[in-house]
This record gives sequence, structure tokens and C-alpha cells, in this order.
Amino acid sequence: MKAVTGMTESEKYESFMKRIEDGDKIEMDDWMPDEYRTVLIKLISMHGISEIMGALPEKEWVPKAPGLGRKLGIMAKVQDEMGHGQLLLRVTEDLMKPLGRNRADIMDDLFEERLKFHNVFHMRTHTWADAGLIGWLVDGAAIITQTNMLGASYGPYARALKRICAEEVFHAQHGESIIMALAEGCTEQREMLQDAIDRWWPSLLMFFGPESKDTTGSSKQDATIKYQIRTKTNEELRQSFLSKYVPRIHSLGLTIPDDTLRFDQETKIWEYRQPDWKKFKQIIGNEGPKSQDRLNLRRAAYKNNAWVREALEA
Amino acid sequence: MSGTFYNEYEVFSKRAPDKGFIHHFSLTAPNDEIAKVMAQENFLRREPVSDLWVVRRENILTLSDGEKQTLQRLDNKDYRNTKGYGYLRKKWRMYEQNLLDEKEIMGWAKE
Amino acid sequence: MEKTESGKFEGLTETDQAYLADLLKQLADDDYLLSFRSSEWLGLAPHIEEDVASASISQDMMGHAAMYYGLLGDIYGRDADDLAHFRGPADRRNSILTEKRNGEGEYLDVPKYDWAYHVVRNLYYNMHKKVKLVALKQSSSTPLRDVAAKAAMELYYHELHWRTWFIQLMNSSDDAKARMAAALEKVNGECADLFHLGKYSEDITRKGYIAPASEMKDSFRKEMEKVFDQTDSVFSFPDDQKENGRLGRHTEDLEHALELMSEVYGSVPYAKW
Repeated sequence: MKAVTGMTESEKYESFMKRIEDGDKIEMDDWMPDEYRTVLIKLISMHGISEIMGALPEKEWVPKAPGLGRKLGIMAKVQDEMGHGQLLLRVTEDLMKPLGRNRADIMDDLFEERLKFHNVFHMRTHTWADAGLIGWLVDGAAIITQTNMLGASYGPYARALKRICAEEVFHAQHGESIIMALAEGCTEQREMLQDAIDRWWPSLLMFFGPESKDTTGSSKQDATIKYQIRTKTNEELRQSFLSKYVPRIHSLGLTIPDDTLRFDQETKIWEYRQPDWKKFKQIIGNEGPKSQDRLNLRRAAYKNNAWVREALEA
Repeated sequence: MSGTFYNEYEVFSKRAPDKGFIHHFSLTAPNDEIAKVMAQENFLRREPVSDLWVVRRENILTLSDGEKQTLQRLDNKDYRNTKGYGYLRKKWRMYEQNLLDEKEIMGWAKE
Repeated sequence: MEKTESGKFEGLTETDQAYLADLLKQLADDDYLLSFRSSEWLGLAPHIEEDVASASISQDMMGHAAMYYGLLGDIYGRDADDLAHFRGPADRRNSILTEKRNGEGEYLDVPKYDWAYHVVRNLYYNMHKKVKLVALKQSSSTPLRDVAAKAAMELYYHELHWRTWFIQLMNSSDDAKARMAAALEKVNGECADLFHLGKYSEDITRKGYIAPASEMKDSFRKEMEKVFDQTDSVFSFPDDQKENGRLGRHTEDLEHALELMSEVYGSVPYAKW
């Protein structure tokens, strides 16, 4: 589509920023600054590919899910993750189209490790409790970051998020239902659950990203706030997660592996032990415990099925 | 770069026979038949569907920036709405009659 | 959406119970196993949209299995989950076609699954199921009739889905045609027991629980020929094969599948999950 006619670049930029400030939504064919497009592609492709990679750890538990109802629930959840990936990749693909890129390029970026995915999906799942915990707390954390972007200035992303968040409510309850059965179950089950929390806690804190770019050397939070894609900072989101979930974890008689964790009544801020941010960098750099295994699985599946795509590319 | 496997399709559905079509999201597919068998399960897994449209995006006519300017209009068209004839309520009352307003007239369907 | 509650069995003699139980195991285990095999494809399909679409079919199959296990549970006075998870290979009555691996490799490792086999197997299975459900809708047993009527509603989509993929790949590239031919050959070696009605087959049909296998096979052949008419290949169906799942004679693939599927459920036998 043609750019806004008769305006200089800076006028276009000003009118674009005004639209954002007025709460107007930007659509895929609208004029947008290159930086806006770049920031969106980076953010949404990572979000989308994380959903696609995130299907893998839970998929490991689909056949093993204990009970017909559990099998059905987790199948539906993994399907939704792929579905969220689909929605988000479509948003990204439309943004990339003017640059001559499509889904095949996104997959290539993942395989060549130019495109990263969320830290949590690099981790190993050990027991059925991990499958429950992912639904309860990982999806809980995801709901917090995603609802923070429901008002995003980019219309297609905001609409996809609205749909995704609605489905995440099911995911969280699916997780809670698994967790509740374990928490109210026998000793083995409770131990399994506590063990899962102990192992996943640092990953959950890392999920929101570093407080500022000083921590790890890079953070895209500034640009996303400038363009009203999100409103809260990484740390604000993490605080909100702690406020919502710490009491719930404790209410089930479970403990959190951080003896420094406390809510400061005066500052209204959670104090907690920082996760190892060096490790975080390694993990998202595809050097986590399961990073290469899961990437290899994706690469192999993609290559193995290439004939199907080639056959139908009439 | 492989291009033609990823044709873009927009998906629309009706919740019930008496409802209009609404737009959902888009999907990519190698051809029309495959697009059709994937549409409902991608976007309508939880809601009732009484009909489905799957449309190739290239067949949708869209408006350019300039053309979108044509969507604007002045707010001086009360004469197209009942709002422009609101004084009738008072008039009819003088003749001891009620105004046949939208609520009243649409209600006749149930008589 | 339709509710899934169905009528209960009434006034069954002990032999009736045995006949019905055997038939229900055939129906339930078929869907249970193929749902599992299909769910191994989750996240790994050739196309993301297809991944999402076919995942619904896997769920539908598991849903149907749950309905059949529910009826089986009524007969035995046992829990449907226990019947799904705790029965060993010798007690399973699924067709060999539904238990075979998707290809080389483990799903937790880096499997090499074969989409051609997935498409052909699912077309054969779902067409067989469609024909069987038509027959079950005429069953002399009310609960069976009720469940069949419900499951049949979802078969329109399952059949359309796999038929579309089948016809398209059969008419595409030479490479795809060769892969589909190989998959057809493989399926032909595993599907002979699809319509077999097990050790009580005569009693089951005499009681009118389901139509005789030969009748269903004829309908199946007609349906499949219509599909094959849209390709360059000719439909064939095997008379016999080495194993017969309907008689509890299975391949090693089943044992492995069952272990995996009950790993957690059986890990703490007294636990509620």
C-alpha cells in the first residue's frame, strides 16, 4: 500500500506517533517507522516461535497424562500452543512481507539460531508435576506479560493477544487442576509437586527478563514502551507475578526455594534472590539443558516433512 | 525461499443461522481445499459455527491510505436517523397517541 | 455441542455381557491407540495450521474411546480410566493398524515420522470407522446406538480431512506418489483385521449388536473405490495377515505404547490424578 501521500518523513512519523497517542490502532498496510516494524517483528516472532517451541516440553507428557480426561486436557493445551504460534507467526509474516520474507525464513532463523525462544522452554521436564506447573505458573507468568500488551498499538497483535489470553485462562485452570490433585494427593504426589516448584522457580523469575539492559547487556523493553506496545517494565511484571502467585503457592502448603523472599510493606516491593542472569543469557543463547535437543527435534521434523510442502507447492 | 505453499486465506464464520459473518484470523495453505479443511479447527474450536467462509486474501479489495479518507463524514445527518424526528413524540402525545419508535415497531415481530 | 451421557445397559445375560464387552474393547482400544499415535505427531506436522487441525481429530478419537470405555465400565462395574490404562496387550482388541509406530525413532528423541503413512492409515481407519458407525446406529443395543450416533457426527470431518490429504498427495509430485505407494503397501499389511469382529463374531452379529463383517467390508470397499477413483491407483484390501488384534494377538509396538500411556497413571497405584 502507498505511504501517506504528500508528507515528509518526519511529518509521517509525527502523524504516526499522534495516532498511537490517540489510542488509534496501526494496521499492517499502514505507514509505520522502520524501527516500529523491526521492534514488532523481533517481539512477535520471538513470542510466536516460543509458543511453537513451548509445545514440545508439554507434548512430552501427552501420552503419559494419567487418565482419559488428563490426556484430553493436555492434548487440547498443546494444540492451543501451536494455535497461538500460528496466530502470532501470521502477524509476523504480514509485517515481514514487504521485506520479502515468509514463514520459511522464520523457521530458518530459528534453525540457524538467529531467532531465540523463551528461557522456560529450554528446560527439561522431569515429572507429571512439571506438566501441571507449566500450566499453572509458566502460563500464569505468560498471562501477566500478555495482558500487559492487550492494548498494544499494533492492531493485529492486540487482536491475537485477546484471543490468546482468553485461551490462557483455560491453560492456567488446566494447570491448577493438575496441581490441585497433586497438592491434595498422597505423599509421593506432594513431593513431586514441591520438587517441581524448587526446580522451576529460577526459570519463572527469569521469564520476565532482566530488570534493565545493564543486567544482561540487551533489553527491548524501552522501544516497546515508547511505541505503546506494552506499558509495564520487566520488573513491574515480575512484581505483579509475585504478588499474585506467592500467596497461592503458600496457601497449598508449598514452599518457595528462596529464604530471602519477602514483601516489604513500606515500599510495597517484593524482595527476592536474583536468578543467575549469566545463566539466563546462556539459556536463551540456546545453551540450556534441552535447547539443542528441542531445536534438533524441530529441525528434523521440518526437514523430514519437506517433501509434503514441496509436493503441494503447485 | 518457498512461496506458494503459503497462500494467505482469511476466515469468516457465522455463529448461528440468524447471525452475520464475522472475520477471525488468517491462515496459510497450499490450496483452497486444504485451507477449507483447516479453517474451523484453527480458529473456531470452542465456539458454535453454523457456516464458514474461507477467502483468498488476494481476492479481498482493500482501501489505500488515500481511499480511507473517503470514510470520513460530517456529523450533520440526523435526518437519516430517528434522532432528527424526536420532536414527534411530543406532537403525538398532544393527539393522545404514542410514538411508533424503533422499540415499538421491532416488537411487532412477536405479535 | 452434544452432551455425551448415554443410556445404560439393561437386562444383559452373562454371555451378552461377554459379547458386548469384546465388541466395546475393539471400538475403544482402536480409538485409544490411534489417538495416541496421532498425538505423537503433535507439534511435528508438516504445517502449523495442519498441526492444529489434526490435533482436533486426535482429541475426538480419545473422546470416542472415553465413551466406549464408559460403557465397558458399566458392564464390568469398573472405572473407565482403569480400563483404558490397566489392561495388558493380551486383553486389547484394537486392530494392528492402530497400534503401529508412526515411523522410526522415539517421540521423546528425534523421531522420523512418515506423513504419507499417517495420511493413509488415517484414511483407512476413519473410513472403516464411518462404515462401522453406520452399522452401529442400527444396533439392537440402545447404549451402543446412542454412542454411535454421537461419534458419527464427528466422522464427517475426520473423513473429509484425511480424504483431502490423500487425494492431493496421490496426485502431486513423483516423490510424494512413491511415498504414498509405499505407505499404501504398509497399511495393506496391517489392516486385514479392521473388520474382524473377534472371537464372538458370530454371536455379536446374531444378537444384532453390529452388522456382519462382510456387509461392512462391502460398504467400505465402495466408499474407498470412490476415493481411489480420484487417483491413478486401484483400491485393494487384504484378506489376511499374520497378527490379529481382534483376537488379542498384537505386535511389540502395542506393548511399548501401553507402557508409555500408563507410566504415570500406574506409578502410584492408589493415587488420584
